[in-house]
Amino acid sequence: MIAGKAGDGVLFTGNVLAKILKRQGWWVSTYRDFPSNIRGEPTNYSIRASLEKVYGRADDVDVFMAFDCGAVIEHADKMAKEGILLCDGIGIAHMAPSRIDSRTYNIFPLRKLARENFKSEIYKNMIALGALSHILHLNFRVIEGIISEVFLERKGKKIVEENIRALRLGCQKSKEMVGTEDLHPLMERKDKDRLLLSGDEAIAMGALAAGCRYFAAYPICPATEIWQWLAVHFPNFNGLVVQTEDELAALNMALGASYAGARAMTSTSGPGGSLMMEAFSLAGMAEIPVVIAHIQRVGPSTGMPTKTEQSDLDQWIYGAHGEFPRIVLSPGTIEECFDFTIKAFNLAEVYQCPVVLLTEQDYGQNLRTVRKFDMTKVKIDRGKMISQEQLEGIRDYKRYRFTPDGVSSRALPGMKNGLHMVESNEHDEYGYRDEDSGNRIRMMQKRMKKLESAGKDLVLPKVWGDKESRIGIIGFGSTFGPIQEAVLQLKEKGIRAKYMQMKTIWPFPRKKVGEFLGSCEEVFIVENNFSGQLSRLIRSQVQVPFRIKNILNYSSQAFRPQEISAQIQKAVQ
Amino acid sequence: MKKEKDFHLSDPTWCRGCGLFGIFAALKKAAVTLALDPEELVVVTGIGCHGRLNNHFEAYGFHALHGRNLPVASGVKLSNPALSVVGISGDGDAYSIGLGHFIHALRRNINITYLVVDNRLYALTQGQTSPTSPMGYVSVSAPYGTKEFPLDGARLALASGGTFIARGFSGNPKQLASIIEKGMTHKGFSFIEVLSPCVTHNKVITTQWFRENIVPVDEDPRYDPKNRTEAWKKLSSEGKIPVGLIYIEDKPSYEDLVLPDKEHPVVFNDLHLDIEKIEKIMEKFQ
Repeated sequence: MIAGKAGDGVLFTGNVLAKILKRQGWWVSTYRDFPSNIRGEPTNYSIRASLEKVYGRADDVDVFMAFDCGAVIEHADKMAKEGILLCDGIGIAHMAPSRIDSRTYNIFPLRKLARENFKSEIYKNMIALGALSHILHLNFRVIEGIISEVFLERKGKKIVEENIRALRLGCQKSKEMVGTEDLHPLMERKDKDRLLLSGDEAIAMGALAAGCRYFAAYPICPATEIWQWLAVHFPNFNGLVVQTEDELAALNMALGASYAGARAMTSTSGPGGSLMMEAFSLAGMAEIPVVIAHIQRVGPSTGMPTKTEQSDLDQWIYGAHGEFPRIVLSPGTIEECFDFTIKAFNLAEVYQCPVVLLTEQDYGQNLRTVRKFDMTKVKIDRGKMISQEQLEGIRDYKRYRFTPDGVSSRALPGMKNGLHMVESNEHDEYGYRDEDSGNRIRMMQKRMKKLESAGKDLVLPKVWGDKESRIGIIGFGSTFGPIQEAVLQLKEKGIRAKYMQMKTIWPFPRKKVGEFLGSCEEVFIVENNFSGQLSRLIRSQVQVPFRIKNILNYSSQAFRPQEISAQIQKAVQ
Repeated sequence: MKKEKDFHLSDPTWCRGCGLFGIFAALKKAAVTLALDPEELVVVTGIGCHGRLNNHFEAYGFHALHGRNLPVASGVKLSNPALSVVGISGDGDAYSIGLGHFIHALRRNINITYLVVDNRLYALTQGQTSPTSPMGYVSVSAPYGTKEFPLDGARLALASGGTFIARGFSGNPKQLASIIEKGMTHKGFSFIEVLSPCVTHNKVITTQWFRENIVPVDEDPRYDPKNRTEAWKKLSSEGKIPVGLIYIEDKPSYEDLVLPDKEHPVVFNDLHLDIEKIEKIMEKFQ
């Protein structure tokens, strides 16, 4: 863990360290706990490196670099046995340098070293990295390579050299101070074909791969990184990113572009999602494909914009006026952030309805190692998009023709013989306003039929862990890692459990969830919210013969595995 | 070459004497003069009596949500600039619920023609006060008279960076058609406010009232619509309401500035992956 105050460079230091560890062949999973503030408030950044792939935060901290004593007060209780702390502050003089209860505490004067050697405190981050490189036994060549990548182009050779000097100084000082018993050497491994990226970046790359070429959005934490990535790359693919005046405009503009024939997308979070509800309903009524990536943050209201939560599930399942078909997907891994984005574009066009890609700040903004995405597997399915030739063969084109699967062929404006109307009002098969109740019933059935038709194309829940066990856990989204680890922790305690990961949340996979519940005697639903939104949804969709127990965390932080395993252990023993 | 009847899908059902008939006629005339095909024209409407125009006008039509006309129209135009896009809103749609979009559309200068049909009240919902109702106007929503000052769309447009600001009168469809033609050939966002009486609900601001209270800007031969200061003065002067082309400016359109490949609209992209290109991008994450 690296902790300090906003403005200290915690994020920068953490990101560089994460990249070093990734290049040394370790699976990396980061966790940033930042305020929605540029300077002055406490922040911390944890990096987890492991040989087996991990997905969430760890239960405790082995190596702790604190930029001030405040960080120690806040996080010292999370230090693991055999853990080591380096703190830039004499406020911990009463405990350092010393070894208390098998944990080691050291004062490490980062700022003083930076001032004395570089006349600038900014070098404290590189000195810190140097110390960490000693403690973690990092390969200097890898670090120097990354520093060149970071600074050479932007700041020049001199700055690179100064940073490397700072790095060596930090390493040297650490060698003088830290005993071999306190080192946590990480053996270098082969850096396989892997990537280190955030969920937002994976979603953006998925959108590009899926053929999305129109993106409209309004800035909002923690979703803006999707846009920022696309803004860099879209111009090279003849794509367009538009910054709109608000989220009302963002979704409406995406709908305009999609109606015209582009694969279009918007992204948002919290209050932005609320503003989009109106146009979400229009997309359903007018049967316009669109993908909405919603990266959940802490609500309600402005909430905590840079922290994680899962409290907008209800909003996307039940939100907006009227009833219309919608699909809600929840990626459980960063790989799924990429895969499901592609899936979302295909589903949106095949079923001509809005698709919500629902994830959380924890996935949106934190970096994780993933296997390189296989671009050869990307398939684009534009559904019943009709060609000019096909259209010319139709005598009486109806944009909203009644069909057995509810999906009608889609002509685009500009096409000959395809004239039609897109109506926000109820309409007839040509799209023209129609208030006849017989037509209304048929149109409602046509639109809602698409959800049933979509059933065969949806990603079903996956069951992990001991399939014979009678103890079940259900979760969605970024609880994936912590639940997987909790299952392992329970196994060590002799408790066998299985875990069902929800992937498509709407339309609700009744059969699979019903079967899972039927195979359990006790079920725990793990969610990052107060009221148990998934739990409520499950109870409304399937018969549950016993009481479901909710394990809820609305602290603004992601689960640690222990929070889950301890509660289950207590309940079943 | 298309004729007016090619754009006439059916006879509209507005109240007898409604200003929208004049707008319907002017739009058909402009489309013919510009030699458009119904298939290359997209008409986006908002919520209000004007929104019924799509039901009778032959073209690709999009009846948007209340106030959300311009974001939809912008999305269409940006992804396929080969289409001619006309937006039509009422004073409630444009100046009240959709006001934010109006200002930003003006400043973006996307090549769309936007008609704001100003009847100074909410007609479809039975005559409530709108942002352009005059101070003291008595309506079902303000039975003791409104206590809000009206909004001036044209001055707002000028202040927001509008590059084509004009005003027409539904009672003069010929002149209105010529303004619409000019607007549609203007490179950038063309805003046309159309004074249009509601014969059913507005007993104060009537067809006759408009006739008596408008003055064409070109009556003054020295008036230069390229002069912003003059335009501001003209719009701010007491007395009759100026109609005609009030302001025009040559500025790059948003499409000119942002579209990576002007020859190939976004909608015609081949979506299949250039794997080599994307692999190269992926390297940055290694």
